[in-house]
Amino acid sequence: MTLLLDMVTTAAILFIVAGGLLAIFGVLKIINFAHGAWLTIGAYCAVATAGLGLNPWAALPIAFAVGAILGGVTELVIVRPLYRRPLDAILATWGLGIVIGQLITLWFGRDVQFTPNLLSGTVDVLGVSYSLYRLFAVAAALVIGLAFTFLLEGTRLGLSAQAVIMNEMLARALGIDTARVRLATFMVGTGLAALAGVLLTPLTSVDPNMGVAWLIGSFMLVMVAGSSFSTLAIACLVFGSAQVLVSTFVSPILGGITVAVLCALVLRISPKGFARA
Amino acid sequence: MPESRSIPPRAWLFAALILATALVLFIGPALFDRFTLNVLTRSMIYAMLAVTVDILWGYTGVLTFGQAAFFGTGAYASAMVLSHLGATPALLALALLLAIIVPVLLGALVGWLSFGHGSTPLYATVISLVVPIVVTQLVFSGGVWTGSSSGLVGYSGLPLGLSGYFRLTGICLILTTAIALVFTRSDAGKLLVAIRDNEARCAYLGLDPQRLKIVLTTILAGVAGIAGFLYANASGVVAPENTGFVFGTEIVIWTALGGRGTIIGPVMGAIGIDYLSAQLSGDLPFLWNLVVGALFVVMIILLPNGLAQLARMVLPRRDREQVSQAGSPALAAEPPGNGAESGNRVLSVSGLGKSFGSLQVLQGIDLEVRPGELVSLVGPNGAGKTTLMRCLSDGTEATTGSVSIAGQDIRGMTPDEIVALGVGRKFQVASVFDSLAVADCLRMARASRKAPSLLHRSLTLGLPEAAADILRSTGLDQMLGRPVSLLSHGQKQSLELAMVVALEPKLILLDEPTAGLTKVERTTIGATLQKLTGELGFAAILVEHDLDFVRDISTRIVVLHQGRLVLDGSVGDVVNSEVVRTIYSGGAHA
Amino acid sequence: MKNKALILAFASAALTSAAFAADGPIKIGVPVGLSGANSVVAPSVVQSAELAVAEINAAGGVLGRQLELEIADDASGAAGAQKAFDSLVFQKEVNAVITMETSAARNAGLPIITKGDIPYIYTSFYEGKSCNANLFVNAWVPEQQVPPIVDNFIKTQGAKKFFLIGSDYAFGRGMLEFAKAYIEKSGASVVGEEYLPMEGSDWTAIISNLKSSGADAVITSTAGGAPNVTLTKQLRGAGVTIPYGNLAVDEGTAKSMGADAAGIFISASYVTGIASDANNAFLAAIEKKFGAELRTPNDLSVPEYEGIYLYKAAVEKAGTTDTAAVLAALAEVSFTGPRGAVSMKKQHHAPLTMYLGQVKADGSVGLVDTFEGVDPGEQCPNL
Repeated sequence: MTLLLDMVTTAAILFIVAGGLLAIFGVLKIINFAHGAWLTIGAYCAVATAGLGLNPWAALPIAFAVGAILGGVTELVIVRPLYRRPLDAILATWGLGIVIGQLITLWFGRDVQFTPNLLSGTVDVLGVSYSLYRLFAVAAALVIGLAFTFLLEGTRLGLSAQAVIMNEMLARALGIDTARVRLATFMVGTGLAALAGVLLTPLTSVDPNMGVAWLIGSFMLVMVAGSSFSTLAIACLVFGSAQVLVSTFVSPILGGITVAVLCALVLRISPKGFARA
Repeated sequence: MPESRSIPPRAWLFAALILATALVLFIGPALFDRFTLNVLTRSMIYAMLAVTVDILWGYTGVLTFGQAAFFGTGAYASAMVLSHLGATPALLALALLLAIIVPVLLGALVGWLSFGHGSTPLYATVISLVVPIVVTQLVFSGGVWTGSSSGLVGYSGLPLGLSGYFRLTGICLILTTAIALVFTRSDAGKLLVAIRDNEARCAYLGLDPQRLKIVLTTILAGVAGIAGFLYANASGVVAPENTGFVFGTEIVIWTALGGRGTIIGPVMGAIGIDYLSAQLSGDLPFLWNLVVGALFVVMIILLPNGLAQLARMVLPRRDREQVSQAGSPALAAEPPGNGAESGNRVLSVSGLGKSFGSLQVLQGIDLEVRPGELVSLVGPNGAGKTTLMRCLSDGTEATTGSVSIAGQDIRGMTPDEIVALGVGRKFQVASVFDSLAVADCLRMARASRKAPSLLHRSLTLGLPEAAADILRSTGLDQMLGRPVSLLSHGQKQSLELAMVVALEPKLILLDEPTAGLTKVERTTIGATLQKLTGELGFAAILVEHDLDFVRDISTRIVVLHQGRLVLDGSVGDVVNSEVVRTIYSGGAHA
Repeated sequence: MKNKALILAFASAALTSAAFAADGPIKIGVPVGLSGANSVVAPSVVQSAELAVAEINAAGGVLGRQLELEIADDASGAAGAQKAFDSLVFQKEVNAVITMETSAARNAGLPIITKGDIPYIYTSFYEGKSCNANLFVNAWVPEQQVPPIVDNFIKTQGAKKFFLIGSDYAFGRGMLEFAKAYIEKSGASVVGEEYLPMEGSDWTAIISNLKSSGADAVITSTAGGAPNVTLTKQLRGAGVTIPYGNLAVDEGTAKSMGADAAGIFISASYVTGIASDANNAFLAAIEKKFGAELRTPNDLSVPEYEGIYLYKAAVEKAGTTDTAAVLAALAEVSFTGPRGAVSMKKQHHAPLTMYLGQVKADGSVGLVDTFEGVDPGEQCPNL
């Protein structure tokens, strides 16, 4: 039972973390290698919120707003000239990640920061006591997934974004302002990343490099998932479960590289990942 | 073109090398203090890595973070031999050997993983991220064998002092740089740029770009391994961070800042930045990283070719000189290869079908083509013409039925293997190599027949007569040294045709070769095609919308409609056919 | 007594080292992880060093020469340490290196120390068995730190089944390897031993294994900083309440972790709550010097303070900064500081007084037990 809960909650956390990256990659075909930095920004928003004495939950909207605004600036200044050079975009955003990391260090210091727990304690689920927060993470993942699906399917922006995914030339011909769609998408993606940063704080420490550890895993999941949130959910469930199983029954060390290695192999066999299935 | 070249580039290179050697061997050890010598020794080792990254990324277009993993395995292989076995001369030799072999094996594996048929450039980058992570994890869990997080230390290495190591690394770096410079300027080196520019074209010139990339990855893994061996000896310590992906990104940053695709730029970038960071990072570690990071972002956006690009802007004259020197090789006739054996069927298609999911794009196609025939493939848009061409030149495309080229079934064969059977394909949009000169493009077409030199840049251009004819009739023979990016649309089409013909194929597939050409250009191409088939015995299949043009030059016309072959007959048959008239007047625009 | 030694030292310095007589300050190199994993603790180490140097200089220096600190960032790793050591040893030409570093940084620095032939006092606790003629260690090794916790868990808490969790690196594995052997020797059993990569942050599977193993005590040895915090948060989140010994947490981190840290047992050679005159004087002095900027002194920073005093004592005993003489003296001198009397007389390592503490709900550490003169065991039998 615990194993099952571990698998589901791990998948949920992976989904939360990778969501922002997928939103950007799915529409813009750009890998935001500063994704880790945005997770960190989000977590420091939680630190700042706590510092201001606000309710810890207030960090969620604050982080989303801060992440989105900074993301907007980034899109305009750094990403926009690089849509035709996707590999260079990886490098530029990686460099941006370094810069953000150093700025956070200069501002907040190098120390591990602490934030108040959003939810603590355990609950009994079918006879086993399980971390309440991890269960909450599943709910959060569902909310994010559904909200994003709604955004894509039910709003004007979402439909425009889908048009851009399918055929950008045509979208432009139909009068869709593709530049604006790109900007909005990037902002949503970075906002989500910062939000994920807040949601991570009860599970991890907050320090200037915290995001990097999550970057590669999310990156690999997104590569496998392609451009859809439902395939991302499947990928998170499959690879998150694999990670938990390997960690539990073989070795946590191998578990740590399970996601990356399995994703790489899946992509070797099927270059389009789960998108084709 | 200016004729003012007083000293050929080789001489410059030679002089620079001698100067650098002297600097490393004599002036450096005498001039620098211990600290500087130590730091520069390490920087020069890193510069060797930057050269390998430059060849892969700058020239071939494969963005890799994986060189750190090969460097690390080389360093660890050496350090593990030296720590656990000892440092006798024989064991040192073993260490060096393993420092090459282990990364080479790993490199071959990584190459095989990264470069499958149909894998994207992004995928290679993905793998190059995963490999260092896995290697680092192995090092961490290696216990006493790898020293885990503490690394290995306290072993003895080559019996060299500080200046000795400085000289050794210096010479290794100069050698690496010199070899890289000679290689990237050679005929074979142009191949890398060709792969970067247009991988599909390479495959359709009978080259196997994926295999070439695997070979390149493997060899450069070995070079990184040698750098690792030097590092393990000179520093006396190896640590997990030497293998990590963060280090891999640093190498890329040095390469980018120095100027990708120049060899010298990355060398300077690596030495300069590593040396400066040793000087400055002690005092302001965070600020220093901030500056490097910001500089990197700005460079990628504004100066994608790094500081070398800046240097070139300042010295524009040299740049132009290089372009002029790249070219004006003389045309030389090649004896015709096994061109056309008449009589047999060149192409035989039976029951060919292709579907995308439930959508049937082609079905039940039967077709035969003999030498000397010029078969035109006509039909309205969406009839499946281009799909058919693709099925004829890529054995992995067709869903049902069979295609035989010169009697051999091509099922499952990749484009380059089919080219070897004697098929040349010209694309609808001229598919050439934009960064190369005209002569280099044509050389690529000959590369599958005769391996290009790894050392020299040819001064002549050997082409079969048919290809040379095309050049002469279009005036391209006067522009052999000109960069392709400066050619007109029509010239590019002619160049691509010449490249395809230079393959000496038995069967040429042409997808709308006259699209967007002027009347004069169209006539020239038509005449050329007639000569190729009528006189020289090539077979050709031509997709064309211009029915007048088709009527003038074809020996046979095949009509496709909604994925089916509806008519196959002489020009007269088709032109007077009721079916064709119905199809073309049915609203489908020609 | 001290004064006499000082005068003697003066005299011998004047006689023996004419070349040194007119020298400027004695330089002490402190390569430390200002960036990277150690960046959390590094500022407190630097403060300790600054306090020691200021005190010594105010009292007239060493052999009449002032002490001068040269701080360098080693980025907490091997590559950074090479740069830092190169710069300190060959560019700044320091007389000795006295510092707290990661094991990777120490190992990377050692060849440079040997080339430059200067004394190196290592002031960080570590996994043990690092042996070099120029290297002295004044902090604890597993043989000193683990027994207090294990003994307490077995005897006082009645623990019989231990679960061990660590970061997958030399320190993590080294500590738990020793802990496992010691637990089994003490008659209890180890029901699980699990490691996560250093940069790993998801302990889910390990914690589930811990809960299902039936263990009645858990001992962790992670990398400092992030992994430690992550593990503790997730352990508490999962509702683990069995006795919890953390081999890698320091007082400062425990304090800022707040409620999550409550109940953790720590074993250290220094806690701020040591009731001795020397410690009270030290705390007063460092508080006065740094005021609001003060980083809580801890088990990694106090040895730095004492290390500089030990070096001073050795130079004075040798009457010179000459390496061979100082190395000989370092094995003999003793200094009584905040942690009590410390002397690196056992194979270049130091017998220490160890303290067992438990984190209280407010984050402060309460002393549970004291063990005097705990021997470091056989670290370097060849030295």
